[in-house]
Amino acid sequence: MPREFEITYSATNVYDEWVYDAHWQFLIIPVENETQHEVEIEFSNSQYAITENSINGYGFKTLRVHPKKKFKEISFEAKFKFLKEEIDPYNFKINLDKSSAYDTLQNLGFKITHERFLKATTYTTIKNTEEQLFRFNNSLSIFDNLVSLNNFTFNYIKFTTGATEVNTLLKDIISKQKGVCQDFAHLFCALSRSNGIPTRYVSGYLDQNNNYQGDSQMHAWVESYIPEIGWKGFDPTNNILANTNHIKVCHGKDYNDCAPLKGIIHSHGKNKTIHSVTVESQQ
Amino acid sequence: MTNIENQIFSSYQRNPDLYDEIYDKNGKIKGVYQKLFNLYGEHSINDYVSLNNKAKSSFFNQGITFQVYGDKNVQEKIFPFDLFPRIIDPVDWDIIERGSIQRSKALNLFLWDIYHDKKILRDNIVPIDLITSSANYLDQMNGINPPGGIYNHISGTDVIKHKDGKYYVLEDNIRCPSGVSYVICNRTALKKALFGVFNHYQTHTVTNYAENLLELLESVKPKGVDIPNVVVITPGMYNSAFYEHSYLAKTMGVELVEGRDLFVENDFVYMKTIKGPEKVDVIYRRIDDQFIDPLEFNPDSVLGVPGLFAAYKKGNVTLANAPGTGVADDKAVYTYMPKIIKYYLNEEPILNNVHTYHCSRPDELKYVLEHIHELVIKPVDEAGGYGISIGNRLTKSEIEKVKAEVKASPRKYVAQPIMSLSVHPTYIDDSESFEQRHVDLRTFTVLGKDKEFVLKGGLTRVALKKGNLIVNSSQGGGSKDTWVLKK
Repeated sequence: MPREFEITYSATNVYDEWVYDAHWQFLIIPVENETQHEVEIEFSNSQYAITENSINGYGFKTLRVHPKKKFKEISFEAKFKFLKEEIDPYNFKINLDKSSAYDTLQNLGFKITHERFLKATTYTTIKNTEEQLFRFNNSLSIFDNLVSLNNFTFNYIKFTTGATEVNTLLKDIISKQKGVCQDFAHLFCALSRSNGIPTRYVSGYLDQNNNYQGDSQMHAWVESYIPEIGWKGFDPTNNILANTNHIKVCHGKDYNDCAPLKGIIHSHGKNKTIHSVTVESQQ
Repeated sequence: MTNIENQIFSSYQRNPDLYDEIYDKNGKIKGVYQKLFNLYGEHSINDYVSLNNKAKSSFFNQGITFQVYGDKNVQEKIFPFDLFPRIIDPVDWDIIERGSIQRSKALNLFLWDIYHDKKILRDNIVPIDLITSSANYLDQMNGINPPGGIYNHISGTDVIKHKDGKYYVLEDNIRCPSGVSYVICNRTALKKALFGVFNHYQTHTVTNYAENLLELLESVKPKGVDIPNVVVITPGMYNSAFYEHSYLAKTMGVELVEGRDLFVENDFVYMKTIKGPEKVDVIYRRIDDQFIDPLEFNPDSVLGVPGLFAAYKKGNVTLANAPGTGVADDKAVYTYMPKIIKYYLNEEPILNNVHTYHCSRPDELKYVLEHIHELVIKPVDEAGGYGISIGNRLTKSEIEKVKAEVKASPRKYVAQPIMSLSVHPTYIDDSESFEQRHVDLRTFTVLGKDKEFVLKGGLTRVALKKGNLIVNSSQGGGSKDTWVLKK
């Protein structure tokens, strides 16, 4: 039986001075795939500005708002109803010959196909010495190594809100050992890529009824590509595999490709933004 | 006629080690220059002094100026124009034209490939790291089919004549190559100054550039558009090439716009006009990739149009040149040009490549560091002659500095042997006489859907400082009218 989710995303922006020109782009719609099916989308804003449906540079659905009148305050509310199939993350076949999967990682064609998710980015650059934080044990399968990496990341960073900001770089997270879901995901990406595993940053929602960490706003986790198996989701913030409670919005190289809200605002003075996300599910 | 020539060229000193384009080895004037030489000889040097001054003020009054970046006292400068034209005979031109088209087409196929199947990488002809480590490689371009299949609509190929008499390409410029407006202004200026000389030569026109550019831009219109609306987008009047942007828009008869004049609605691009919004189909953009759309690229950009990239990705607008073309004019990719031409066209390169050392390869880095005094060191991703070091012109301390920089970021640099660019007689203000100066040639190639056009002329740039090899206007270069003779 698929589960029905109702997700509410809201954001309120308050400005000291009049804003005459602003563009917003929201990357918050759950993606449709084999396990996620859209039922209903509602999106509104307090300025009654028209909402445009578009896509970002990687083809994920976006919502864009460009108010035609000046304003000092604007709030947005999105409601998504989605059906999600039950996922058993352990439901896959493991090839007993481990070496063939490791051989595939060395293959030039494999590296070219997955180059986007193998390279280091601003958010996932680490020094050679930091790569030593987690090296794969080739006597274990790639999947088992990734489970260990998930566990390592979970233990390495202490979940702490306010210790890092949206643009904190990995080297500072590694030295502080504190952070939020975005930081867990970036560390996982960096370490699995340095072991030759294509890994992508995933942005989405997490069902809040399970007391998971990082569930008051949008969530971040990762997907790694395992030869002969395919993409597998790992949530290092909670030390679990991605499951039915993880509702995916999009993926990318890092946070930059997945920022839920981008705003181009021409205004003086200060501004304040409040976000909130609720996820409810019914069986 | 007495020895009139001597009045003009009497003090012209010929360095026997240099390739002079108008004198042969025996000190005789070459065939195509004979008439010109005699015609110029009918004037006295004083005539040139006054003609030169007139030409200068004419450029200034027309606003044909540019700015140099990184200069504290920013001021408008004219691009110095030389009165003695360069002549390219039909045989040489044929090589240059075919060679420029060959390179532009090969680069276009290369760009299609690396943003689609990546066959050239899979076949290990070009190393993958070279592409993905390039700052100009745009992930977002993967899988996008640009209208008409064209990426590098406009290419500027920098060609030199080496002392062996052969043509070599120094670099391919396929982001926003500039300079074409000078080609046309130089022709106009020379006609004003010395109209008579044109009566003695059958020279190809250069004023047809705009109409050809417009025709080819229209040929790559988005699907479903009947008569496309073309615009030129400029970063604005403070950009060093603003004169050119306005010139091209004016001569093509299309609107010149800034980012704020355009907007995107439901993934279509519109221009604000006093009669209301007008849909735009083809944008000749003179703004770098990172600034075209703040929602997709640099969010601080105020030059671009929010939502433009989504409109492009949906195929509703053409951008010329396409985003992400810069990956192919990376100077490290340049090295692979002979292989790239062979791979896609199964042809031998018509124009030669200069041997290039990659500092990213340990053995080549070693060679570069040991032979730095006989090499030119170039950053891979800079244009305009910025950051170039010529080994034999450096002091000891400068050499150590360059070595340290190269060692610190080897992927950022390539090195080439110091090429001896041909020289051409150039009027020099300070000495009030003609002297040998190094020249190159930038050709302009336009690719459209199943059509191409090379401007029969191009921009001859002159390094005005004696002995200098860097011809870029930002580095104190000047330019000459360039005549391509009819067959």
